Amino acid sequence: MNWNGKDVESYKQQKEYIDTAIMPLAPVSFGAEMKEAASQYEFIQLLTMLLEKQFKGRTLLLPPFSYQSKKREEDKIAALNSWSEELREAEFKHIFYFTSDSGWKLVEDKLDGTLIWVPSVPLEHMEPSYKYSLIEEQAKQFINIIAHKWQQ
Amino acid sequence: MSKQPVSRRQFLNYTLMGVGGFMAAGMLMPMVRFAIDPVLAEGAAGEFQTTNQKVDELTSTPVRVDFSYEQQDAWYTSEVTETAWVYKDENGEVVALSPICKHLGCTVNWEGDNHKNQFYCPCHGGLYEKNGNNVPGTPPTAPLDKYPTKVKDGFLQLGKPEPQTIA
Repeated sequence: MNWNGKDVESYKQQKEYIDTAIMPLAPVSFGAEMKEAASQYEFIQLLTMLLEKQFKGRTLLLPPFSYQSKKREEDKIAALNSWSEELREAEFKHIFYFTSDSGWKLVEDKLDGTLIWVPSVPLEHMEPSYKYSLIEEQAKQFINIIAHKWQQ
Repeated sequence: MSKQPVSRRQFLNYTLMGVGGFMAAGMLMPMVRFAIDPVLAEGAAGEFQTTNQKVDELTSTPVRVDFSYEQQDAWYTSEVTETAWVYKDENGEVVALSPICKHLGCTVNWEGDNHKNQFYCPCHGGLYEKNGNNVPGTPPTAPLDKYPTKVKDGFLQLGKPEPQTIA
């Protein structure tokens, strides 16, 4: 389900079936990493959109958690854990975070949820058809990871 | 003066007729164009989207066919990619099924998770027969939608998915 009026309406009706939240983690910075951050976000956005399409009936794709790159690690972790707390209260059994920011990988065990770190690919100069097949290839792996998590 | 073939009166008549004719044509042409436009447009746009799947290469095993087209929604143009599971039935007819699960809209897979000869939905374990009929006892309550199909120059064309009734 997407974060829009129509999908949220069906989420409300079918709550017991939708137990998985997907949240992209998007760093924002205006310094040297500005372009990298934007390009990572583009990649993660396409990837999570495709996963939502695949698993529409069991996942809710949330708006991205965006944060300033320069913020201290502890503050970022606290902010994200406050989200996961609220998601657990809303009865989401599975939480997936998607990011290209390698900072999260180092603090993975402090998070409540599954962190999926994907090294991003610069897409800006790519042919659309090639771009989609590349994202699809990537998504296939995560489809398996998510399906596997559900079976546990 | 008698040698002059066109008199002043004739000249004015011709000129007025000519100009009037052009004006009338200028008004009528767009009207006629509008009137016959739907007839002309049909061949060009139509509802069918061409895929890059050759019909000759289809077998009785469903294959995934992706096709994309541009969709305009107010100011927002987006490229939409759709998928169909396509195979030939025992009479050699092409069958194209929508992969959208009728339960809550996940994407179903052919023989997913080792379900032989069935479509499997990974979200809540929905199952469908090869012809798209939902297996009773699993969450879906209706058969998979079916695409109308056409063949053009050997390539498969798909229309808008339509609901199926249980056969």
